[in-house]
Amino acid sequence: MTAVVSISNLLRRYWAVALIVVGWQIWVSAAGLSSIVLPGPLAVATDFAGDPLSYAGPAGLTFLVAIAGLLLGFLLGAGLAILSWSSRILNGLLTPLGLIFTSIPVVTLIPIIARLLGYDVRTVVAIVSLICFFPAFVYVGAGLRALPPGSDDLFRVFGGSQLQRFVRLVLPSAVPNLMLAFRLTAPEAVLAAVVAEFLMGTDGLGYLFRKAAGEFDTERALATSLIATITSVACFGLALAAERRVLRRWT
Amino acid sequence: MTSARSQSFVLGLIGVSLFLIAWEVIGTYRLAGLTWPPLSTVLAFLTTPAKLPLFGRAAAASFTSVAIGYLCGACGGLILALASHLIAPVRPGLDRLVAVIHAIPSIALAPLLIVLASADATPPIISGLGVGYIFYVAATSGLATASATHRDLFAVLGASRFSVTLRLDLPSALPAIASAMKLSVPIAFIGAIIGEWFGASRGLGLLIVSAMQNFQIPLLWSAVLITAVASLAMFALFSLTERLVQERMR
Repeated sequence: MTAVVSISNLLRRYWAVALIVVGWQIWVSAAGLSSIVLPGPLAVATDFAGDPLSYAGPAGLTFLVAIAGLLLGFLLGAGLAILSWSSRILNGLLTPLGLIFTSIPVVTLIPIIARLLGYDVRTVVAIVSLICFFPAFVYVGAGLRALPPGSDDLFRVFGGSQLQRFVRLVLPSAVPNLMLAFRLTAPEAVLAAVVAEFLMGTDGLGYLFRKAAGEFDTERALATSLIATITSVACFGLALAAERRVLRRWT
Repeated sequence: MTSARSQSFVLGLIGVSLFLIAWEVIGTYRLAGLTWPPLSTVLAFLTTPAKLPLFGRAAAASFTSVAIGYLCGACGGLILALASHLIAPVRPGLDRLVAVIHAIPSIALAPLLIVLASADATPPIISGLGVGYIFYVAATSGLATASATHRDLFAVLGASRFSVTLRLDLPSALPAIASAMKLSVPIAFIGAIIGEWFGASRGLGLLIVSAMQNFQIPLLWSAVLITAVASLAMFALFSLTERLVQERMR
């Protein structure tokens, strides 16, 4: 009984995805497309199942690089947001710059950074952290200013010092925003890492994809993008779990 | 209040100027190596009459992709959001589909699209997929923001499903849709540029990647600068629209 319920649940959620995968297989079989042009999902799955370990290394590397860049970007972004909270002048100077950089396509800076720092793994980390930096800066900055109504007056009335006010009121009230930004940027971090690896040809899923596509091994290329998708979704899932956990403790 | 606002405006202006001066100084004294040109060099390169046709053609191609992708993505996202709003049973499936498509790395989609469509159709399609995602997410949550009281009133007065959607749900979704209009601008540009990194025959993205590989530093920075300024201008325009809509709907 529970199996039936869970299958119908799965169908309710994934019917549209399933429809596309099935349609893709039927179309490839019916049109008789060569597997170099476009292999069906079955062929892609077979290629992956035949040698899953060869994907594990690059996927792990991309995952680690994305996480490292994400954390570094968040540390810098949140740090700068806190600095600019403490000084009105710094805040006035930095806020418009932060806004400008969130409204331009930061991905187009990848070639410039690649040229500046050289083609290697550290550059990928730098690119990912740059892409995560601006959302962290903007969201944490907004959180530091959105205090619960009246709470600020309470701290003043009881004579809380500036430091106490910051540690006990301002910082905690920015945590939900911080976690929201974390959840929104986590999947982007993986995708940015893949794009950077692809462009520069440094190890990881992006390079695996580039190599496979260059050798017209379309099955391998598609399996690689499937793994990249799964890695990105996994990052989102982890960030969502972290957000829920933090918010449960927090509120 | 006005003095505080003008003060923050002046501070912002100083901040942006400091950034531009830092760009110039780092470039002039080669603090970041040969690959960081001063701003004046980039601007001089951009305004060289001989380069104008090159940039003009590339920008026209890219901006056309952005415009087509933006319009199609916006319409597609809104239509899907309306469908999932009106036909409740399809909603979970559509939500997952949109999330899965969004999670596929665009560099993986690009080669596929080049095979299925064509190299020149790839930039607008990738751009449209990104824009469509933002519009879908914003519109589905916006369509559900009407208050229960209003909903009850419509029910009591015997409004049909169609007129509730048209006269209550759609107007209350407008602020969210206006935000989506603004937020999807950089996404539209990213999609077009990434699409062009895969063998488009012209465009700013092609210019960027070939300049990177051939070490044409002023060209690289100029092409990135054009893209950034265009995105910024469109973003500013839609921020204004967003503010107007929010003031009207309050």
